[in-house]
Amino acid sequence: MSLGVLWALFVASFKMFIRNRAAVFFSLFLPLIIMLIFGVLNFEGSTEIELGIVDEADNEASATLIEGLGEFEYLNLIEGEREAELAELEEGDRGFVLVIPPDYQPLLGAETGLVAYAANSDPAQAQVAQGLLQQAVGAVMGDSLGGSIPDIPRLAPPVEFEAVESRDLGYIDFLVPGIVGMTIMQLGLFGVAFGFVQLKRTGALRRLFATPTSPAYFLSAQVLSRLLIGLAQVAILFGVGIWFGLQMFGDYLSLLVIVLIGSAIFLAVGFAIAGWAKNEDQAAPVANLVSLPMMFLSGVFFPREAMPDFLADITQFMPLTYVNEALRAIVNEGAGLLSLGPQLIGMGVWAVITFVLAVLMFRWE
Amino acid sequence: MTAPSTLPARHAADAPPIIVVRDLRKRYGDLTAVDGVSFEVSDGEVFGILGPNGAGKTTTLEMIEGMRLIDEGSAIIDGVDVARDPREVKRRIGIQLQSSAFFDELTLVELIDLFGQLYGRDVDPMALLAMVDLTEKAKSQVRTLSGGQKQRFSIASALVNDPRVLFLDEPTTGLDPQARRHTWGLVRRIREEGRTVVLTTHYMEEAEELCDRVAIMDGGKIIALDTPQTLVDELIGRGFRKARVERLANLEDVFIDMTGHDLREDD
Repeated sequence: MSLGVLWALFVASFKMFIRNRAAVFFSLFLPLIIMLIFGVLNFEGSTEIELGIVDEADNEASATLIEGLGEFEYLNLIEGEREAELAELEEGDRGFVLVIPPDYQPLLGAETGLVAYAANSDPAQAQVAQGLLQQAVGAVMGDSLGGSIPDIPRLAPPVEFEAVESRDLGYIDFLVPGIVGMTIMQLGLFGVAFGFVQLKRTGALRRLFATPTSPAYFLSAQVLSRLLIGLAQVAILFGVGIWFGLQMFGDYLSLLVIVLIGSAIFLAVGFAIAGWAKNEDQAAPVANLVSLPMMFLSGVFFPREAMPDFLADITQFMPLTYVNEALRAIVNEGAGLLSLGPQLIGMGVWAVITFVLAVLMFRWE
Repeated sequence: MTAPSTLPARHAADAPPIIVVRDLRKRYGDLTAVDGVSFEVSDGEVFGILGPNGAGKTTTLEMIEGMRLIDEGSAIIDGVDVARDPREVKRRIGIQLQSSAFFDELTLVELIDLFGQLYGRDVDPMALLAMVDLTEKAKSQVRTLSGGQKQRFSIASALVNDPRVLFLDEPTTGLDPQARRHTWGLVRRIREEGRTVVLTTHYMEEAEELCDRVAIMDGGKIIALDTPQTLVDELIGRGFRKARVERLANLEDVFIDMTGHDLREDD
């Protein structure tokens, strides 16, 4: 291996990318624009409070309370065990967890024993929500005791609040890892497939074969420059994401590993397409056929939980699904690589499949 | 050198062969594109391969250059067997391809530097560009070049490794008369540097102007091989006469006389 040759080709490949306005637009700015649009739209719009309920009393009085709370449209009730619900609260999936103790007494102004655990991530929002919850609980208890009591807030609050450290995940936290996944897919598929097919069609690639340098150098340089560009993109997306309020709970090294493996998978797919196709017209439909289903079914913009079960079952095996799951686990939950076994296995299998595919399908001319 | 000065600078008989091609064959399925081609090219000679489209000129050239696998036969350049060591052959030759495509987004200087690197050489891009009259375009990207400029740049890029043999595949196809004459001058200068040139062309006038010897190919075979003058003399000897004797000038001479020899680059 001559490093001088590799370096010269790497620099050339990098310059060619940077000077190709269409390539720069589609791979660098488009993801950014998509992120800005979705970031501004902000799909969190719902004002419902996710209220976890732990019913340890399990008697008539607690059932009445739960039923009564269920009537409030701004409360979304989820019943569960104490530990599970508190865990959800920490994950940011509950606004509050209301614990109804075994000795619950629906007495106004007296100790009710009700304790609500509140996420402390957004104090202003929590304040409002606390008031709403107090009111709701008070109203339900008043109802159950017969007659409405308008001055509940002035009585002793029926619920005692305890703050819980939690991750308040916004849509931006969901979106950025997805966009990162999408970007490395697009870069591999389109950045490589199109540039390479063009070089093949015009004969620029043949001109390299007229020199004694092995074409493998050119391929390596191409891969390395695309990886570098991919990393720069991820950095930009993260930077903008953080400016939008993205929280990074994991470590960047794990993130880097996932980004590199993901890039390897999609670069291999890109080279398989580029190796097979004779011109851009052949490459485009195939690249779209591969990328479009993943863009919408691998959880880039919307949670895969929203899909019908059969679709979710099928799409869980798609390469981008593994990449996105791993990225979200790292960014949103602070997961380390060791806890990402299933995703890493899935990505590893895809890396092998796509590499073999690329080797089998690749033709220089 | 004992050759009289009236003969072309170097003639086939003067120098040992630098290219030896023996019984070269290439098949694509049922089609035999090249069917037993043999010839030798002397050191310092300008050798032309002529023939209609599909005669097998480019395929022959590409097999000799190591760009295409040889099915049968052998080609030896400067003592190196192409089939055995195509990389070593590529180190010693310069290749101008028929489609002169490059990495469009790079400037001429960057490309010449890059090609130099591919041969492990530090080259002087400006000197090479000056030789093909592209000094003013040095900092431009390839995509801004005209057809003739691209062809000339293509020749410059084939010279980065100071090759002993230069292969030119239809170097003037698609060029206007001025650009074609300019390229002829360039080929003569390259030959004066002592390099051997092998070129293909559709233009008989070009072959007569440039080539010491020509091979005429048809259907994958060489059907004639000699100096242009000998081939013409033989034809006349067989009793051939033109229906109309060539005038002292033709329309191309008129065109050049009226529009001058200056290159037009904004085509």
